[in-house]
Amino acid sequence: MIKKHQPLRKFPDYKSSIIRSPDNEPLLINFSNSEITGPLFNKNILNENDNNLILNFSKNGEKALGQEIFVHGFVKDENGSPLKDVLIEVWQANAGGKYRHQNDPSNIKLDENFGGCGRFITSSDGYYIFKTIEPGAYPYPNRGVEWRPKHIHFSLFGSMFLQRLITQMYFEGDPLIESCPMVNSIPDINARKLLVGKLDLSKTDEERILGYRFDIILRGKQQTYFENKIEGS
Amino acid sequence: MVKIQKFTDTPSQTAGPFLHIGCTPSIAGINIFKDVLGSTPFKNISLNEEINIKGKIYDGNNNPITDAMIETWQCDKNGKYFNYQGFSRRVTDFKTGEYQIKTIRPGNQIKEDGKISPSYILFWIVARGMNRPLITRMYFDENELKSDVMFKNLNIQDRLKTLIPYTEDKKHFVFDIHLQGKKETIFFEF
Ligand SMILES: [Fe+2]
Repeated sequence: MIKKHQPLRKFPDYKSSIIRSPDNEPLLINFSNSEITGPLFNKNILNENDNNLILNFSKNGEKALGQEIFVHGFVKDENGSPLKDVLIEVWQANAGGKYRHQNDPSNIKLDENFGGCGRFITSSDGYYIFKTIEPGAYPYPNRGVEWRPKHIHFSLFGSMFLQRLITQMYFEGDPLIESCPMVNSIPDINARKLLVGKLDLSKTDEERILGYRFDIILRGKQQTYFENKIEGS
Repeated sequence: MVKIQKFTDTPSQTAGPFLHIGCTPSIAGINIFKDVLGSTPFKNISLNEEINIKGKIYDGNNNPITDAMIETWQCDKNGKYFNYQGFSRRVTDFKTGEYQIKTIRPGNQIKEDGKISPSYILFWIVARGMNRPLITRMYFDENELKSDVMFKNLNIQDRLKTLIPYTEDKKHFVFDIHLQGKKETIFFEF
């Protein structure tokens, strides 16, 4: 079995991957204790508002600007079992597509009430929820100027370092997804769909906030199989 | 043996150039969270146990990467892994690309066959341009590493030295990571 659902490291359509990926195939080895253990994070590292990006950077209780949304879902393993105590960190651009970051060259205005990051730790059923605003799409230099589809960056810690994941959630129906080289670096077309948060009308009525559902699956102890692998013992 | 999984694990995507906002927010000037995660792998490191690791990550043009994040994971001096210690998180400097970690030397693990496995620190690296994380290990002793059964029979003996840091006093280590070229670091997949 060869996994084609993970992106290729070297994918020339995404230009910076050319010099930022190794030329040799990684060495496939059996995991040791360092991979099947990992850091745990206690819920007491969280403030009450950490998962509310509309208010967690607010100046005088004013809300961040933009279409308010919920992003919620379940974190599970490959067998569908819920994963509790998973620390999720998210970050995103503001409604105009501008990041609060010294290296963002965009001349779009910052929103003084929007930091653009949040944290949450999944409950016993693997559930998480963030309240935020829909991020704007933004241009970046690649093959000329290209546009990133609207997205939220996600970072997750499972219970083993093997499960460590950084990914992005895209928004259902965004026409920019199809031409995004970062999405297209995933060979398996069906796997690309796993990165799309689905409009969730069951979560729309509360406070008139639009809902998106994004479930995340973290890998287990099964070995990774890649083409052209060099195999260790 | 391959088991059929019910669900496909979610694909990785690049952390992008602005990962600081979410992972090291104080470096992006955002100070809203209680805790800085991974600021030190162990609390109260004593001066005689302390080691310092620094280095840079070089891209295919041999330029240091100035927007990468490195997470490290290691056991304690007795070879034990704990859930609430052993983790550190660093970003490479915006100007120089250098990272620095103060930690302790991890102990050796005793394997199932009773043999000792070499001491190392796991390095997990993400950045703009990396669609998936790169995983490597910093080993402390080249002989220990070369005698490990896991590496003994591989035809990459000449590259094993990429996993060994430079040190003069066994207190200060320079561990540079090269993504391409003659010195390309060995990266792992599991
Ligand atoms: Fe982004």
